[in-house]
Amino acid sequence: MVLSPAVPEPEPDAPDLDFRGSRRLAGKEEWFWYLAAAVSYITLSIWHKFLLNWFVGPFWLVAVVIVGPAIWDRLRGWGRRR
Amino acid sequence: MSWAAHQFEVYAVQAHLPKKMRGKVSFWGIFLGDFTPDFLSKFWVYGITINGRHYGAEVPHKWHRGWPGMGVTHTLFLGALLAGAFWLWKRNRAFTVGYLLGYAAHALTDVNDSVGTILLFPFSALNWSVQTWAYAATIEGGKYLDAAAYYSSLGLMMDLFWLAVVLVSWRVLTRDYWRTQIVPADARVWAWFARFLPERGLLALYRATFFYGVCRMISWSVWAHLIEHYPYDLSWTGPFWIGARSLPHVNPWIVAPVTLALLGATYWVVSKLWEPMGRAEKRRARPASPAAG
Repeated sequence: MVLSPAVPEPEPDAPDLDFRGSRRLAGKEEWFWYLAAAVSYITLSIWHKFLLNWFVGPFWLVAVVIVGPAIWDRLRGWGRRR
Repeated sequence: MSWAAHQFEVYAVQAHLPKKMRGKVSFWGIFLGDFTPDFLSKFWVYGITINGRHYGAEVPHKWHRGWPGMGVTHTLFLGALLAGAFWLWKRNRAFTVGYLLGYAAHALTDVNDSVGTILLFPFSALNWSVQTWAYAATIEGGKYLDAAAYYSSLGLMMDLFWLAVVLVSWRVLTRDYWRTQIVPADARVWAWFARFLPERGLLALYRATFFYGVCRMISWSVWAHLIEHYPYDLSWTGPFWIGARSLPHVNPWIVAPVTLALLGATYWVVSKLWEPMGRAEKRRARPASPAAG
């Protein structure tokens, strides 16, 4: 009889990773990054109207949601190593 | 013209698809259909100024919505023509239907300002306008005055109305909805984006148009009212402090019922064509059967 290898139990604190190994956002953390993107974009665009367009607006959100958590994870990892 | 309403209506169309089309209509089709009318016509409305010389339309509202002019970009006629051309080229039902619905949403929403759209082109070149708020794009005022007028008038209510429609259908913005309804209908496009973006970026990309709509509505409103102190005027065809642009038009009282009838007709036609288009798409996708014998 051929047995499939045992599937390891996920660790309770293991991050929820996607197909690229990047962390998924959920709950309050997701809200935080979307709000951070909105507040920063609105604040800057009130004074710099050229930012208010179809390309910069969507790009801003995608950039903040990708880069923000990545930087945060790096800083946290760096803090733990010290 | 409408501002953030055009961003919100993309999600409103997506959330209110006929039952048989749910999860099968391309979100990018709706997005591009809604985007096309202004993409083709608006760059020249405000124009650009280089070394003190202005390059742009001499009569912005006529260029944008009139005939002769680019008013044809805001008609169901061109929307159907472009969707039909795409169908003949690719036989892609999801995109074709999404594109037509998005295009129709844009053209029909824009009947609300004082210029309106040449709705029945090519049968008539008269504009159809409910005249809810003033069309205010001018060479002198440019984009800033246009935005100030829009966000001081019932145009703001239009944005808020479409925002409310999306918020009532808030599930359209959730991760589950994106996974189960949006991605399957556009699997190849999302797979292409997935070569560059993690999942949280893909989800943000899906929500980005909504995000942009909310942010531009808040940003322009804050600028117009807290910084520049333009007065609100929520009266019909307001605001009072700007001259509403207009073109020869039909009686405004018949515009709303005809627009709603055209919206219904668009959905009816799309619904009737849905199955035949699906069969044609399958025939094209099916590999040639090996010769018998």
